[in-house]
Amino acid sequence: MSAVLKFLSRTQGKNGPSFLDWVSYAYLFLGFLIIFLPVLWLLLNSIKSQFLLQKLDTNILPLDYDRVVRATVFGPDGKEIFIMKDMPDWVIYWNELRDEDKKNENNPNEFISQYEGKEYYALRTHLGLVSEHAKNLINEKNFPEWLIKYPSMFPDAKKEYDPQEYLINLDLEDTRLLSEFLGIKPYKPNGFTSQILISAINSETNKVEEYSVSRLNNNKDTVNARLITNPQGGIVKLPTEDIIVNKKLRPSWINYSDPLTNNVRGMSFDAVKCLSNSVFVTIVATIITVLINSMAAFALSKYKFNGQIIFFIIILATLMVPASVLIVGIFKMVSVTGLNGSLWGVIIPGAATPTGVFMLRQYMLTIPDELLEAARMDAASEWSIYWKIVFPLALPAIAVLGILSIIWRWNDLILPMIAVSTTKTAYTIQLCLLDFQGEYVAQEHYRLAMTVVSLIPTTLVFVFLQRYITSGIASTGIK
Amino acid sequence: MATLELKQVRKNYGSLEVVHGVDLFINNGEFCVLVGPSGCGKSTLLRMIAGLEKITKGEILIDSKVVNTISAARRGLAMVFQSYALYPHMSVRQNLAFGLENLKMNVDEIDKRILEAARLLRMEEYLQRKPGQLSGGQKQRVAIGRAIVREPSIYLFDEPLSNLDAELRVATRVELKALHARLGNTMIYVTHDQVEAMTMADKIVVMNDGIIEQVGAPLELYNKPANKFVAGFIGSPKMNFINFDSLPNNIKEIAPSKSSTLGIRPEHLSIIDKNALLLNVETVEQLGSDSFLYGKTTGNQKISIKLNHQTEIQSNQDIKVGFNLEDAHWFDNDDRSINS
Repeated sequence: MSAVLKFLSRTQGKNGPSFLDWVSYAYLFLGFLIIFLPVLWLLLNSIKSQFLLQKLDTNILPLDYDRVVRATVFGPDGKEIFIMKDMPDWVIYWNELRDEDKKNENNPNEFISQYEGKEYYALRTHLGLVSEHAKNLINEKNFPEWLIKYPSMFPDAKKEYDPQEYLINLDLEDTRLLSEFLGIKPYKPNGFTSQILISAINSETNKVEEYSVSRLNNNKDTVNARLITNPQGGIVKLPTEDIIVNKKLRPSWINYSDPLTNNVRGMSFDAVKCLSNSVFVTIVATIITVLINSMAAFALSKYKFNGQIIFFIIILATLMVPASVLIVGIFKMVSVTGLNGSLWGVIIPGAATPTGVFMLRQYMLTIPDELLEAARMDAASEWSIYWKIVFPLALPAIAVLGILSIIWRWNDLILPMIAVSTTKTAYTIQLCLLDFQGEYVAQEHYRLAMTVVSLIPTTLVFVFLQRYITSGIASTGIK
Repeated sequence: MATLELKQVRKNYGSLEVVHGVDLFINNGEFCVLVGPSGCGKSTLLRMIAGLEKITKGEILIDSKVVNTISAARRGLAMVFQSYALYPHMSVRQNLAFGLENLKMNVDEIDKRILEAARLLRMEEYLQRKPGQLSGGQKQRVAIGRAIVREPSIYLFDEPLSNLDAELRVATRVELKALHARLGNTMIYVTHDQVEAMTMADKIVVMNDGIIEQVGAPLELYNKPANKFVAGFIGSPKMNFINFDSLPNNIKEIAPSKSSTLGIRPEHLSIIDKNALLLNVETVEQLGSDSFLYGKTTGNQKISIKLNHQTEIQSNQDIKVGFNLEDAHWFDNDDRSINS
């Protein structure tokens, strides 16, 4: 640690930092920010709730707004809009909860029994209790079975039944319940929307009052707000710069826990399978890449044979072929060899890389030929010259190739799409991440969180392998 | 224990021939030094003997068996490289063991040989270190040790001392000589330093431009050089060569017929009137025990003189220097020695 501090605080000026020191440290710091800020942004966004992400929240921290509920209740007198404050979090975030958490940790029936009238109706709809209560009522009154199925019938089928006759004899409460369930006018499912609570000066009374808004956009001059004390009074426009927003830190850990425990609504996300596929592909492909490339580089740098330069030029020439041109060819090769749907179809096509061969060859050229001759005098076979002399001495370059290969393979999307896109069980993590953005669903909060998870292995690999890059070069034994 | 014989060995790189038909016989237990200026083909010859270079033409025989097609590993030779070529990622012990492991020797025998070599070369305390942590002299010993543990029939040395500083070079020279006396193996040693050649060799092979100029014992080469090249190469400071035409008449008279050059070593010249040359001294160097005079004769020939005492002679002084006739070497038009 002290060595790191000493390294970082080393100056060119003999008595404290000179002008150049300041400039270079400022430049370094700027570079650090350019690299570090996007990563930090990703990390912090990955713990923002779905609500915040959908509102395109630009804060760096997962600051959630104070929320109120704007409820809309329909009845014979038309619709009534009102604001409910001091709702517990689990009620506000009810729709974001997992199914088992809804019932296990909370008791909605007990909760709504504290309320009555319009607030009760709004909560009953929001917490999904209408059908439960209505079914109880139908059973209690011995009404026919088809009433339960009525809400899910097609319009044509509905014409054959007349639910009105059952409503006539009910009291007011039961009429409302059954009508909300069956969708009979003037009743409708009641609205219950989470809103942001802000404070601003009321231009009529010149007092600071509370308003609710559905979204905040700092780029617009005004926000549409509803006065909390008089929600029925309609929408007023408030100047954006004058409003006061209350926020509190509220990291949304379910972004991580849901996908990791395969609890994503509407889809199956098997994090363990995705990650283990990726780990398998990365490790096996990197081992094969390092072996094949270092052998090719050994032959090109340490042997003399006819056509050596031509081989080298052909290998380098493949660098000039863009990867996208190869997609069709690789797809055909993969399907002809029967590797499609198998992880080997991802591993094998990318095993030999011209970059790796070139890099290792250039490094191996610096290994003195005398070492190989000494080994030949020591009765070493050509294989053991490669494996016991050249490979260990090229380790710094091989570590670089290994790191690059791991990063390439882990982040690769094209090859898995070509080889395994039809086989869900062979999806790598990158393909799995793609699943969060379907045609109808965009679960960005899960995607951000799982992206962070997918970054962990490459980060660890770099931290642990990078010391090989610097060490190993230390001594060459040859003057 | 082995003899080595070269028969008309040639080496071509493409169309360029660098070794032009070398014949050589090295006896069992001999310390043979190949010496010559850089680029004379001595290292190439050594590498051909080792099996690291292909032989274009001719034959190499070890113990009367032709080994041209036998690989380096199977010739039973060991080589010490100029750069030592120690495996940098292995400890000293592993460096020594590598060759033996490749020969599938059993572990006890390997340990025994390494210990012996370590004791012989006094390197027990750094057996576990890596080459990067050793000094030049220590690396040198490890390189020699790596040859010794193989127990080869012939040792090959490729300028092994050229990376050492002057003091260490002298010490290692003595040690190598002692090692040869103790092991008694045939050793072939390549160097461009004639002092090393003179001090260590039983037999010196002087090479120039891919041919052997002369083979012989050190003093034989010094006393009876076969030609002007050998005469100039062996001995320090260099032998003086004086053009026949610029010699004074008194010396011309005593020269054998067909002489074109007189060669006389600096240490054989002294301030006497016998066979005298007139010399204008340009520089005087006093080393205490010896003095060196540099100057030009009246015939404008450069001359250096080594006196084994201190001198009063000043620069720009004209003096007479003479020599004994038996110390003179005469060379003909083809630079060959004329036996007088």
